[in-house]
Amino acid sequence: MRDLPNILAVARREFLTRARTRTFVFGTLILVIGVVAIAFVPVIVSYFESQDESKIAVWSTEAELSSDPVATLDALLNAPTGAQVPGDSAGQGFTVTGVTDLDEARTGADKGDPTAVLAIERAPDDELTFTLYTNGSAVGRVAQLVRQASTAIAIADRLDRLGIEPADQASLFTPAEYTVKWPDPARTDAPESAAEQGSSYLLGFGMTILIFMMIILYGNWVAMSVVEEKSSRVMEVILNAARPFQLLTGKVVGVGAVAGVQYLAILVAGAVALLIQGPVSDMVLGNGGGSIELPEGLTIGLLIEFVVYGVLGFMLYAVLYAAAGSLVSRQEDVSQVVMPMALVSTAGYMIAVYAATGMLDIRSGAIVVLSQVPFLSPFLMLSRSAAGEVAPWEIVLSIILLLAAIAVSLWIAARIYAAGVLLYGQRPSLRTIWRLARTGM
Amino acid sequence: MSLEVLDLRKRFGEVQALDGVSFDVAPGEVFGFLGANGAGKTTTMRIALGFLRPDTGSVAWAGRPVHEWPRLTWGYMPEERGLYPRMPVLEQLVFFASLYGVSRSQARRDALDWLARFRISDYADRRAESLSKGNQQKVQFIATVLHGPDVLLMDEPFAGLDPVNVALLKSAFLEMRDRGKTLVFSTHQLDQAEELCDSVAIIDRGRLVTSGSTRDVKRSTGHQTVRLATSGDGDLDWLREIPSVQVTRPGRDYTELRVEAGTDPQSVLRAAMDRGDDVYRFEVADPSLEEVFVERVGALDVEERTLAAAQESPR
Repeated sequence: MRDLPNILAVARREFLTRARTRTFVFGTLILVIGVVAIAFVPVIVSYFESQDESKIAVWSTEAELSSDPVATLDALLNAPTGAQVPGDSAGQGFTVTGVTDLDEARTGADKGDPTAVLAIERAPDDELTFTLYTNGSAVGRVAQLVRQASTAIAIADRLDRLGIEPADQASLFTPAEYTVKWPDPARTDAPESAAEQGSSYLLGFGMTILIFMMIILYGNWVAMSVVEEKSSRVMEVILNAARPFQLLTGKVVGVGAVAGVQYLAILVAGAVALLIQGPVSDMVLGNGGGSIELPEGLTIGLLIEFVVYGVLGFMLYAVLYAAAGSLVSRQEDVSQVVMPMALVSTAGYMIAVYAATGMLDIRSGAIVVLSQVPFLSPFLMLSRSAAGEVAPWEIVLSIILLLAAIAVSLWIAARIYAAGVLLYGQRPSLRTIWRLARTGM
Repeated sequence: MSLEVLDLRKRFGEVQALDGVSFDVAPGEVFGFLGANGAGKTTTMRIALGFLRPDTGSVAWAGRPVHEWPRLTWGYMPEERGLYPRMPVLEQLVFFASLYGVSRSQARRDALDWLARFRISDYADRRAESLSKGNQQKVQFIATVLHGPDVLLMDEPFAGLDPVNVALLKSAFLEMRDRGKTLVFSTHQLDQAEELCDSVAIIDRGRLVTSGSTRDVKRSTGHQTVRLATSGDGDLDWLREIPSVQVTRPGRDYTELRVEAGTDPQSVLRAAMDRGDDVYRFEVADPSLEEVFVERVGALDVEERTLAAAQESPR
């Protein structure tokens, strides 16, 4: 490896130059702050919800209801996990009181205290009718929760009228026995739960985005950096000292290291934020309910795969970005020459996203085959792997193919680069590029 | 142990950039590579450095093909000055040298020495873009020699330098030669070449016109130059009557004559004395490189020189 010292020297310069720029330092800082903020969103939301207490006043003409509507509403609205309204996780923070003067309560509700007044009356057909007086939204969280609670009270009342004892009523609500099984009779493992499937698909989706961004953003950086060396004509100076292969590889490694540092900073910040979320939420909310929850499906194996596919995918694309950059002399022309790479990586990313979100069947033969194609495998294999749909040999094969593709790309890119860096002026035609790749110079 | 350029040919599309260029550079000499813009100087250098592959021909140093020598052997100063604009001067010098395998601490020490020599030590930690063109060019020269190469190839090293810096660079050239380095530089400023070069090659539109020691090249035309001042100045008709002698520069101070090959310059002196004039000055000299160039290639025409100067000045 006599190339190594020069590759490292080039990478070192690239890394230090990039990492010292204000853009990089502030960009990373903003991203870290963003990640920490996002990680703390649940704590922040529940903090605001706990501050936001709703008072519900209940007025009823029916003194002889079997259950006390105040107690029932209180129990239903303040249930610890809010299964009442989908999407609402914290059905807490309600104070329910009984009132005797409806007009007074309505006047109060108009001024915001209480938040709402629920009037319960019996209609001529013996059914209970419920009226909610509130300045809030008719479909808002309070109205929705109160409506569900009202239905429960009405059902209990009907059962009373049918003469069913309260003790028997409970058995009526016992859920039915219900199982989900795989269509394949040979398969005996437990079916995925909805939550598990959702979060692991989401995980594959997120990782795919991260790899795609790395390729697009930092690949572009590699191309820009090559053009910079060309336009400042420093290229000829370093070309005398080092071989094109060393310059190209060093640049890719250097920019890759910059990307790695940025990603690592974000991931570490995110992990730390998740870990301290529990203690912080205890401090802010003053309850012991804070628990650390890592996304389901996030295993060490998947993380390693993410790193491997991220690094290899970046290498594969970045060497081609470098070759493309060597073909133009002006920064304005970069976006044109990197178009092929941008298109292919976007295609890989889109297919992966469609497969992860279920718009394409992730088990279909086409996806399985495409996930072995080197330019697409970093996206697709990761999605499949996150969904738990991949055999170990498939991963090994795709990594071998990816490595082979990197070797071939590096060889071609180094030849294009060697000739391209001395070309100034007109952007070369496809035929010229082909000739360069074939003959070298 | 010399740099042998043998029958280089290189075609770029329609353009035959080099069409059979051969010459030898002896080790330890200063060699001038002369030609107009586009004559093929840069292409020849790029081939010698291995950036380009020739269609035919070869370049060897001390009997071995150039690409077999370690990169440390070569120092290259491209025509377009190339430095990282936003990188501090010292840092990039150390980076360049480290690519040749020089240790960072050694490179740092040597770079500081050179910066002091060129009186730009104060700029060591400044970004290259903040330096004047002349100072950038000095940094560029340091980048060329910092790793101690045996062969220096420099493309138009004097272009765009003011007289003070030209003098500094010339003394650095001579010092490199005294250290046993071989220097090849291209130029279209023929007076610089005449002053510095032990040998020269003249190239025109990809073809080698002539090469050899500066003295031989100057004599290659066969004719000689006579500078004459007599008491009978002002009357030049008698000079025009001498066969094979032409007045090339009539002047008040002295008259310059061109004496064709095969004619003894002394015949001019005799003719003057035969006329009874007092001879104040009689000097026989070789023609200047510029005269040789004009005669062998045609004028490095005025328009092109103005153009070249205009291209250099904004840089």
